[in-house]
Amino acid sequence: MSETHEASVIRERMWMKALRTAGVPLLSVVLAMAIGSIIIAASGKDPVAAFGALLTGAFGTPEKWAIGNFKAIGDTISRATPLIFAGLAVAFGFRANLFNIGANGQLLLGSIAAAGLGLALAGLPSLIAVPLILIGAALAGASWAFIPAILKAKVGAHEVITTMMFSWIGLYLTSWIIAGPLADKTVSSQTPMLPEQVWLPTLDKFLPALLRVPVRAHLGFVIAVALAFLVWWILKRTTLGYSVRAVGYNPLAAQNGGISIGITTVYALCISGALAGLAGASEVLGVQHRMFDEVSAGSGFGFTGIAVALLAKNHPIAVIFAAILFGALSAGSSMMQLVANVPDKIVTIIQALIIFFVGAETIINWLIKRRQKLALEQKGATDVE
Amino acid sequence: MPVLELREITKVFPGVRANDRVSFALERGEIVALLGENGAGKSTLMNVVYGLLGPDGGEVLVDGKPVRIRTPRDAIDLGIGMVHQHFMLVEPLTVTENIILGHEPSRFGVIDFATARAKVSELSARYGLKVDPDARVADLSVGMQQRVEILKALYQGARILILDEPTAVLTPQEVRELFAVVRTLVAEGLSVVLITHKLDEVMGVADRVVVMRDGRVVGETTPGQTDQVGLARMMVGRDVVFRVEKAPAKPAEAVLEVRDLVVLDERKLDALKGVSLTVRAGEVVGIAGVDGNGQRELVEAIVGLRRPKSGSISLRDKDITHASPHATIEAGVSHVPEDRHRRGLVLEFDLAENLVLGDQAGPPYASGGVMHTKVIDETARTRVADYDVRTPSIRVLAGALSGGNQQKLVLARELGRNPDLLIAAQPTRGLDVGAIEFVHKRILAERDSGKAVLLVSMELEEIMSLSDRILVMYEGKVAVEFSAGEADAERIGFFMTGGAKHSGSAATAPKSSVAEAGAL
Amino acid sequence: MWSDFFTPDLFASAIRMATPLALAAIGGTICERSGVVNIALEGIMLVGAFFGVVVTLATGNVWVGVLAAILAGILLSAIHAFASVTLRMDQVVSGTALNILALGLTGFVMEVIYGHPGATNGIAHKIGPVFNFPAPGGGVLATIWLWIDQVFLSYTPIVYIAIIVAIVAQWAMYKTRWGLRLRALGEHPRAADTVGVRVQASRYVAVLISGALGGLAGANLTLEQVGVFSDNMTSGRGFIALAANIFGRWTPMGSYLASLLFGFAEAIEIRMQSFQDVIKIPVQFFLMLPYVLVVIVLAGFMGRAVGPAAVGKPYEKE
Repeated sequence: MSETHEASVIRERMWMKALRTAGVPLLSVVLAMAIGSIIIAASGKDPVAAFGALLTGAFGTPEKWAIGNFKAIGDTISRATPLIFAGLAVAFGFRANLFNIGANGQLLLGSIAAAGLGLALAGLPSLIAVPLILIGAALAGASWAFIPAILKAKVGAHEVITTMMFSWIGLYLTSWIIAGPLADKTVSSQTPMLPEQVWLPTLDKFLPALLRVPVRAHLGFVIAVALAFLVWWILKRTTLGYSVRAVGYNPLAAQNGGISIGITTVYALCISGALAGLAGASEVLGVQHRMFDEVSAGSGFGFTGIAVALLAKNHPIAVIFAAILFGALSAGSSMMQLVANVPDKIVTIIQALIIFFVGAETIINWLIKRRQKLALEQKGATDVE
Repeated sequence: MPVLELREITKVFPGVRANDRVSFALERGEIVALLGENGAGKSTLMNVVYGLLGPDGGEVLVDGKPVRIRTPRDAIDLGIGMVHQHFMLVEPLTVTENIILGHEPSRFGVIDFATARAKVSELSARYGLKVDPDARVADLSVGMQQRVEILKALYQGARILILDEPTAVLTPQEVRELFAVVRTLVAEGLSVVLITHKLDEVMGVADRVVVMRDGRVVGETTPGQTDQVGLARMMVGRDVVFRVEKAPAKPAEAVLEVRDLVVLDERKLDALKGVSLTVRAGEVVGIAGVDGNGQRELVEAIVGLRRPKSGSISLRDKDITHASPHATIEAGVSHVPEDRHRRGLVLEFDLAENLVLGDQAGPPYASGGVMHTKVIDETARTRVADYDVRTPSIRVLAGALSGGNQQKLVLARELGRNPDLLIAAQPTRGLDVGAIEFVHKRILAERDSGKAVLLVSMELEEIMSLSDRILVMYEGKVAVEFSAGEADAERIGFFMTGGAKHSGSAATAPKSSVAEAGAL
Repeated sequence: MWSDFFTPDLFASAIRMATPLALAAIGGTICERSGVVNIALEGIMLVGAFFGVVVTLATGNVWVGVLAAILAGILLSAIHAFASVTLRMDQVVSGTALNILALGLTGFVMEVIYGHPGATNGIAHKIGPVFNFPAPGGGVLATIWLWIDQVFLSYTPIVYIAIIVAIVAQWAMYKTRWGLRLRALGEHPRAADTVGVRVQASRYVAVLISGALGGLAGANLTLEQVGVFSDNMTSGRGFIALAANIFGRWTPMGSYLASLLFGFAEAIEIRMQSFQDVIKIPVQFFLMLPYVLVVIVLAGFMGRAVGPAAVGKPYEKE
């Protein structure tokens, strides 16, 4: 292997690529926040106050590092938890070139399975019941992705439409279960409270010395992070992961190499569904401790999962950080609404803008190139001197 | 005064000077061949003239006046027409719709189809380019599609016609016909630039030859002043051996047996109509034929990508008729696909990952669903060295390599597997001379080590120099078989067009009429 | 009971329900024919529906509201056009971002203007039917007249506009210069480019037309059907419209007819809700019906449908 000219060109290009991989998401977030500020200002509110409140809501006050910070960060972590699962779900699909836009439906199925199993397995000890519930929720999520997956593999029906349709079907199905078979006797639009032994314990239960206050963050976060590493390992080191990536990048070459596109598609979308199902279960077992009817809710974690996956460029480990960012936005938005009187929908707008900018790499690349060119010109100028 | 003149045209792509101060002139009523290897910069130059690429320097003159051609529209308005190597035809549209596209006769935006059809018919009659104006382009043969392309340029009022590798997809007979049309056009006062890398064509039709190499014009001559060997030296920059050196074949036992194979194409029509063939260990069997006569379907059926309707395929007496691609690889078949970007490589995978594609699921590269990275990387390093893939590291993505190195990568994988049967489809398409030699040597080395090789190629030259036996495919059947010594290009070409049925009548006869094909 | 179920109003309801779907589906058809996938139709309808109401409330003129809806649709689709044509961004990702942006933006502006989330204030007067014929006296003739009146003459303007749009678009696609170029663009943009068709500009026009039609679809929802905007009220109609476009084989008339099928499912769903006491099936199962139908149609039909060859692929000059 001699270092030819071609080889050095290749090396240089790979460095540039690495630079952009890191730079694009960061710049996207900054740009999205900037436009968010403009929108806030245009609505007659103070963007500085708004983002200040958002930061306080998400991380506590910076002046005194105190109990309030633990609570706030706990909130952020708690909100990030389902987003890690959902982000992993969407990212896994993307890796096989499948856009699981209906992750929300699989998530609802996971929630309802968790609620139902949680009530049914009330007699079992936690260490048996909780894993069983999680497995059940994953299976429920996978089952909701199964028909779109089969349709994609067999007749090529586009998963964007089918998973979206299943998302709505799932919404009404769970709505019916909550109103009927699993209805709470006293309050409508929710299931009864789950018994405490199937809850995912909050993290202060494990680290009482460190976290001296009760926090919302729960064991689900640890599971989610562990799962992110597992997904990373599956993609990188297993034959299944290899097949998923090969099919995602170039299905024809994968097929030529003996990989079945159809089977890989079904696996990938069902695994994606299972991960989405876990997002629902984690929320039911860790935060709500019951399931609410979501029919009136606008967008769910599934949608945010798309933003998380895209911001993380579908890298499982990066998903953790992207989810924490969106968790912080979500946790801080209530404080922003309260203090600065800015509707929390601004977070949805920022989310959309981030997706847009990450997707529109060309804008960012163009900006980076421009900067490099400027820097080069300046450097040239000093060289002359 | 030349009708078209280029002065010092320069075009730079990242890392490559595709055209370096190229000057060129075309006189009225002249056929000039622009000769050069793949990548010499011929197409780039003509794309600049046609407004598809903006030059980085130099100037273009039409009828002696400097012009700026920013878009194809500008070129068309100046009377420049171009027939691209990959046809610019919209397949679901009709012949007329394709021809008038962009220049529709219309009133208030509503197309006057009657006028359009009449004009097309008139042009078609005047230049002897017969074609059904209402046929869907998708239903036409390649030769017919080319006529539509030429008609389109004429309809747009072209006085200068650029033909980019026009013979690549034609049979020798169709080529003769095309050249007859070109001569008619020139007689009518048009001027033609013929981009090609085929020496015999240049000798046959051009008035003048301009040779390009590495983005520069390296010489100019006329067919009378030189011969093919001289031209080749100019084109490549050194002496070229036309015949590949090879020892006589020692065919042994049959490895691949195909019997009465019938395979459907995408439109559910019979693409293969009962093909039988045998490939023995230690021989190269070449499949010649015009693109689209069932070669692709044959290859795909053997490697398990396409399910045969009837017939059988066996490998060393093992039936693989309905085997999956995976099972076929396991059985000992390696496949160098015709399009390495589409089927050969995962461009976003690194070299190591690409080198195990097809073997990734089992030992020694994986067990229990977990991949053994160390073994994979070690193997990859060895293969990269063995096959001279130029790369700084096995972690480089396949997409970052040059075409020649990518093809070496595919060969490294497919041959490294030590198969019983190698199927190589268009193994040298788009490669430069050095890479072509490498690929040819490797294929012959496989043969000499006792492997069975099935070679499919549009390049008749390649088929003739590598094969020990040659099968000619026409409309889903093996039309004839030659042994290495008895075939020449003219005879093979004769069978490529359906034998007795001369391509002159094929122009008017519907493509699917096979009945006469047997009446030799 | 069946005569109570299959009343003329059921068919009229189907055509009414089909209208927003059809407008969006035809928009999708034109857009995809040019080579651009537009899954932002959902968001385009949503902003159309929303700004139609906002401007109607602000000006008191419902027609100004309709114009605002169209304009809002065009603006959102302009972002999509810029992203997919100029920036060559992944069109599905851009569409998703815009769908979410539409959700956030409508919710945000609603709270800023009206001070509460969930829904806007209602408009004073919805757009009424175009015709208003008095019913004749009794007898068989009256029944026949009732059917004619209900099924053909009972609609609001945008319902008729949708039918006209379908017919005109169908004609234009196959008989005009614009249509020929459009069909070429989505199949082989490079071929169109080499004969002087301006690929990017033409794609912009197609995407903006789909935005206008999507916005009009939104106006139909709020200004003709409901009279008020509530969060995420398009409920997947943009995606159903895309399915209708596929089922209609990427033709305007086909899109209209396919939308009619899905509209009929919606009409039946609504009708069944009022028969709930008789049928005894939970209401949620009726609500699923249109979505289930879309999946069934795609499952049965998809294998045979082939879209424009270059759809979804950004066009790049070398």
